[in-house]
Amino acid sequence: MNLFKTELHRLLRRRLSLLFGIVAVSGLVLLSVVLWFNSESEVSSAEQAYGEEQAAVYQAELDRCKADEGYFTDERNWGYDVGEDYPELSHAEVCDEMLSWGTDPSDHYMVYIFDFSAEGVWMLVGIAIVGGLLVMLLTASAIGAEWSSGNMANLLVWHPNRLRVWGAKLAASLTLGAVALVAMLLLGFGLLYLVAATSGQVGELDGRWWEESLAILGRTVVMGLGMTVLGAALAMLGRHTAIAGGVIAGYLIIGDLLVRLAGFAFNVKYPDLFSLYTWVGAWISGEMTLFANVMSANGEFEDQMILTATDAGLLLGAILALFAGLATWSFAKRDVT
Amino acid sequence: MPPVIEISGLRKTYQKLLRRPHNALDGLDMEVAAGQVHGFLGPNGSGKTTTLRALLGLIGTDAGVMRIFGEEVPGRLPHVIGRIGAVVESPQFFKHFTGRLTLQLLAESVGAPATRVDEVLEQVGLRDQAGQSVKGYSLGMRQRLAVAQALLKRPELLILDEPANGLDPAGIHHMRELLQWLAHDQGATVLVSSHLLSEVQQLCDSMTIVSRGRRIVDGRVADILAGHSGSRLSVRFADNGRLTEAVEALVSAGDVSVEAEPDRLLVTGAPEAAWVTRTLADAGLYLSELTTETKNLESVFLELTGTAPQAGRAVQVGHAAPETTAAGGDQR
Repeated sequence: MNLFKTELHRLLRRRLSLLFGIVAVSGLVLLSVVLWFNSESEVSSAEQAYGEEQAAVYQAELDRCKADEGYFTDERNWGYDVGEDYPELSHAEVCDEMLSWGTDPSDHYMVYIFDFSAEGVWMLVGIAIVGGLLVMLLTASAIGAEWSSGNMANLLVWHPNRLRVWGAKLAASLTLGAVALVAMLLLGFGLLYLVAATSGQVGELDGRWWEESLAILGRTVVMGLGMTVLGAALAMLGRHTAIAGGVIAGYLIIGDLLVRLAGFAFNVKYPDLFSLYTWVGAWISGEMTLFANVMSANGEFEDQMILTATDAGLLLGAILALFAGLATWSFAKRDVT
Repeated sequence: MPPVIEISGLRKTYQKLLRRPHNALDGLDMEVAAGQVHGFLGPNGSGKTTTLRALLGLIGTDAGVMRIFGEEVPGRLPHVIGRIGAVVESPQFFKHFTGRLTLQLLAESVGAPATRVDEVLEQVGLRDQAGQSVKGYSLGMRQRLAVAQALLKRPELLILDEPANGLDPAGIHHMRELLQWLAHDQGATVLVSSHLLSEVQQLCDSMTIVSRGRRIVDGRVADILAGHSGSRLSVRFADNGRLTEAVEALVSAGDVSVEAEPDRLLVTGAPEAAWVTRTLADAGLYLSELTTETKNLESVFLELTGTAPQAGRAVQVGHAAPETTAAGGDQR
């Protein structure tokens, strides 16, 4: 417990922690201010009149489609029977599918109205991901600095049980990460709600919204903590902050692109499976549909695959366990010079 | 009383791809008795720091046994680490932390009382600079801070790697008094590795000299010095023209070796100084000066480790001249 408290204390007293804290809070405030200035709380009467006028034109076209079974085959319109692509839909339903956009006046408004119930949760997801990156860098930097300065050897002279030291460092990093991420989300929620209430619309935050939002944000926080462990593990393996940062940045910028290209080059059915972003997306959103790299004659994807959060959690967890295991083995066995 | 530190047959080999393996420790033996300041000497690359790192569990070894307070280490190190204070190689700290915070964090990690921090800061003479960040510390101040952290636990065994490094003369004097006080008045055992031979001569009660990962000699400092002093006599004459005649007289009279220098003779192996006087007088030669060559630790060290400089040849790290002679102390 003493060692855990000391590690936590050491993390908190680092200048980088203070700097990242300031960056995070400033970023949230800046985002809110920009959003507040760009969002309108209501549509002007002129804008509303224009929207209604345009919506009426689009509605008339939709009505014309529904009244005319040969609408799509008419050369003046689409020129071929769109209904063949949707054998399960009636003609009216195909018209709705193809022509319903524009029939709502809001489709034609040129102003932006921030809708908290629709956009808030994804903005909070972005905030949590940025927060996770900051905590990952902070953890990797703390451990990397201990190695490069020689302070790790000093610490081990006091605490020769290396697994205990590693455990204390991980526990302290995860505690700091969890508190920081939850604090960022609470602050972000408050600021975005305030923007929506004063310069946008809050929307309906019903039970279903809360259930879905909390599930998404909960998984994002878990991913942020996983990033913390990954940063610590890479710094422990590389024994330097730059090595950990280089591996992460290198993979995210170049590595992911290369494996994705390799997937296409070898004509893999689902090349998106090779991208880490796909699995991260599936984990956060709860489900992701992948389309096969083969198209039918009419341009439709022939096959598709659904990745669930459980699938993504298993794969991402396995990757994390691999790196954490390697770091543990390396720390326990390698000489400290 | 059993030794505080016992090392037997310690081996450490560094394997490198496409290179010959390097034996940093080649069957090292060492013992450090309780309540003494023990010097650990050796040329660069002789294995001193490797030994200290192995003792403290920082590196693994390939063979050998190490015990501290009778407990085998590194396996039992967690059970005895609370009785050990140590500084290995140059002390490293987070630069932006103050000296006091650095010590507070370490004290907190082992549950030591916060008041102990001020006590050790006072002991090492850093009380007034404790609030400054470490990046503003000189090398000597960092060295003092390192010793302060080693003292935090009130250690029964203090292991210090080059503790006088970077200290000014007053600092060295202060450090010497502190370490001797800890050993002689407080009953602690102090193991000090150092290159400052004159400092070791003044500071240590006993010592071990190592070369190429092996023990060359160990014992009480006074005994080792005595074993290498008095064996060589310097003889001068009023008339240097009779030096050759004197050499012949001494060599023919007994089993001694005589080295002639332009203005004196160096006689090795004489049973006593009076024998030289008598032999020369019998030959009709009257000396003007007869002195015993008193060696300091540096000359003993250079002789034992074979690292004395030779004209036109630089001594390479970890290497020694092939013909190594040793006398005095417990030679290995």
